[in-house]
Amino acid sequence: MHCKIFKMLGIFTVVSMLLFASGCSSDKASSDKTKTESGPKDGGTVTTPIVGDPIFNPWHPNAYAESNLVNRVIFSGLTKPGKDSAPAPNLATKWEASDDGLVWTFHLREGVKWHDGEPFTADDVAYTFNEIVLNKALGSNGASNFKALDHLEVKDKLTVEFHLKNPWAALPAYLSFNAEILPKHKFEGKDPWELTSFNKEQPVGTGPFKVDKYIAGQSLELIPNEDYYEGRPHLDKLVYKILADKNTHVAQALSNDLDIFVLEDKASLDRVKQAKNLTILPSETTKYYWISLNQENPLFQDVKVRQAFLLAIDRKAIIDTVLKGYGTIADAAIAPNLKTYYTNDVTHYDYDPKKAKKLLEEAGWKDTDGDGILDKDGKPFKVNFEVGIQGDLVQSAQMVQQYLKEVGVDIKLNTLEWNAMIQKNVINRDYEMILNWWTYPTDPDVFAQYHSSNAGKGNNIPGYKDPKLDELLVKGQQTSDPAERAKVYKEMQQYMSDTLPYLYLWYPQEIQIRNKRLKGVPKMYFGGTLYYVSEWYVEK
Amino acid sequence: MLNFLINRLWQSIILMFIVTVITFFLINLAPGGPASLMRMDATAEERAALTERMGLDKPVMVRYGVWLSDAIQGDFGDSLTSGQPVVKRVTERLPNTIELTLYTLIFSIGVGVVLGVISAVKRNSASDYSINLFSAIGLSVPSFWLAIMLIYLFSVILQWLPSSGVGDGTEKWKYLLMPVLILSTTALPTIIRFTRSSMLEVVSQNYIRTARAKGAKEWVVIYWHALRNALIPVISVIGVLIPRLLGGAVITESVFGWPGMGRLIVEAAQGRDYNLVMGVTVIVTLIVIVTNFLVDIVYSKIDPRVKNF
Repeated sequence: MHCKIFKMLGIFTVVSMLLFASGCSSDKASSDKTKTESGPKDGGTVTTPIVGDPIFNPWHPNAYAESNLVNRVIFSGLTKPGKDSAPAPNLATKWEASDDGLVWTFHLREGVKWHDGEPFTADDVAYTFNEIVLNKALGSNGASNFKALDHLEVKDKLTVEFHLKNPWAALPAYLSFNAEILPKHKFEGKDPWELTSFNKEQPVGTGPFKVDKYIAGQSLELIPNEDYYEGRPHLDKLVYKILADKNTHVAQALSNDLDIFVLEDKASLDRVKQAKNLTILPSETTKYYWISLNQENPLFQDVKVRQAFLLAIDRKAIIDTVLKGYGTIADAAIAPNLKTYYTNDVTHYDYDPKKAKKLLEEAGWKDTDGDGILDKDGKPFKVNFEVGIQGDLVQSAQMVQQYLKEVGVDIKLNTLEWNAMIQKNVINRDYEMILNWWTYPTDPDVFAQYHSSNAGKGNNIPGYKDPKLDELLVKGQQTSDPAERAKVYKEMQQYMSDTLPYLYLWYPQEIQIRNKRLKGVPKMYFGGTLYYVSEWYVEK
Repeated sequence: MLNFLINRLWQSIILMFIVTVITFFLINLAPGGPASLMRMDATAEERAALTERMGLDKPVMVRYGVWLSDAIQGDFGDSLTSGQPVVKRVTERLPNTIELTLYTLIFSIGVGVVLGVISAVKRNSASDYSINLFSAIGLSVPSFWLAIMLIYLFSVILQWLPSSGVGDGTEKWKYLLMPVLILSTTALPTIIRFTRSSMLEVVSQNYIRTARAKGAKEWVVIYWHALRNALIPVISVIGVLIPRLLGGAVITESVFGWPGMGRLIVEAAQGRDYNLVMGVTVIVTLIVIVTNFLVDIVYSKIDPRVKNF
């Protein structure tokens, strides 16, 4: 009896000692780097994590981030994000717009086959858009991006026309943004959201990989499409592991179980930097964080107040603290990686609390009773600040709150569960001040988030209505010549930085973690590299 | 016997009804809606179209009535997030959770009872104190942290065990090891403590003294006479543990990527997948009812003092 106890005690003690030791021991999991000949080799498996079960249908209302990462590998769009960010050919080889900009003709690639052997034709493109995207009753994911689209017409087997309600220069860019084509022969006559044999089991696409094995809640294994039009992919297998917990992503990357993903929790950054088998690649994304001050609220209608708020926030400090330096200050809505359209020649709001206080004073806000809070007509400057609990939103919001308090604005911070936040702030527009982000395809057309017609029910969250901005938005949307467009958008950025429809915070950098054995991945944000997954290869 | 069964059946039906009503109203009244409606970039138009498609524009009472009438006929509808039948989604995940529960119970009961007996028999000795210490640690250590630590130790550093998934065939035990260990950190101490206190009570009884006086060997006294009686309360603890393990080892499942019921429930609730939430509720309630029933039957058989029928 005694022996049993001491044996158990012994085991317990050894285990706990090992646990303590594991905190300070070095990695055993390093691959030795011997010089091998360069050039892609066939074979190998690459694994990447997703946080939930995917739906194999890019237009399905429930297809989010995790589904997007899978669908762009199984399916193909007419265009795809180019390595230099301009839309590149994919299922379409070239395209042109009519003189009035209302009809775009897309010439499709010849000889493309669906995973089940059927030929890909213009009928599939027309079906996807006419019957699924444009069918309002279906509520397709992303359909609102195609507001300008009226209908499609098939000209011949490999030519299709997009008929627009108004000129829309961003069409090719939006066709590369989660807008993959679905096979008509699979969906015709059926309800596209009810076809679970396709959406949840065996989809049929034209992409470089197709579904081999899917275990719900656990993993998805894809194998190469031998007939892929850009050549058979090098890899033998692409695995998506379904891991809800992001901490395990890091642990698994360290043990060589995961090869590539985006690091969200920057607290693990140091641990990853020490790992011998991983590299860290920061990349630019088309994403910006903002604060929205509800324009229906008279408190925020004075541009001086908005400018003062932005001057009061030390954005550099927040980037260094919360984002660990991985981000750049934003002063307008166009991200720096849209190189053709981005300009830094805008009004900047370097951290200046004194100037902020001065501007607020000009707007009528003074601390007359010495309580540290500004007031006007006897009323203190109190603001309800709401933020959804997701990623680094709460941390950022807390810092913003502190900075604004220092200039005398009494901010009450309310953190809401994501669903509740969407219901209250986005659906009901019931808020005073919120913090969030926008992400969009590599095109400067931000009509949806800024035009006055989108206030209230659309994506113009602040409800900002400005005829001059409207004019610039429409002009930019409808001008086809990139050089002319660039001029319009540069003017627009200057105007945005002056009028601040949203308070621009920063453009975050994405931190991509990659196993050193994985090669052939283009220098892009992770989501973009997946469009080139057929070029990836592994070195033993 | 018949009366007992009829009473039980009646009570179960009422219980099921109450649970489904409360759950349905709670989940439907929570702010937000199905995830497809809650996308940041969905326009009011899109939301309206989807709401109508999912039948969510009808009042809550009406929707409950519709759900109930369908459910009674066995139709639990389709999951609002994936479109697959709710029954399919649940039956996909249930075996994985049952597997985890089974092995956890076997391990916890097997080791727990033995340690509990030792702890009771050697009361206030070094063995007793160390067993109690480890029990306390097991109950207090957050399973999330311990799980990550184990992964770091066994998967990253030693590379002995896989860090996630279910695995198949002969390798299965490698995948089961860590999740079962984590789930046992609460189940095992519970059984140890219950066995210990139950044994302490039994060992002081008269009939134990009689058995010793009769000259029976000590191990016969402990294991044959005392333990059999001491196990009775432990059986009801097991009855409580089973639904808890089956219904949701969420954290363990999340960290180890184990496709089980716990994660299913949480994902369903967070995504306001009303149909799936209801389906899972019904299954879990059913399991609780059945296990309690079985425990009561076993109880009656073992302990002649308890007369259920």
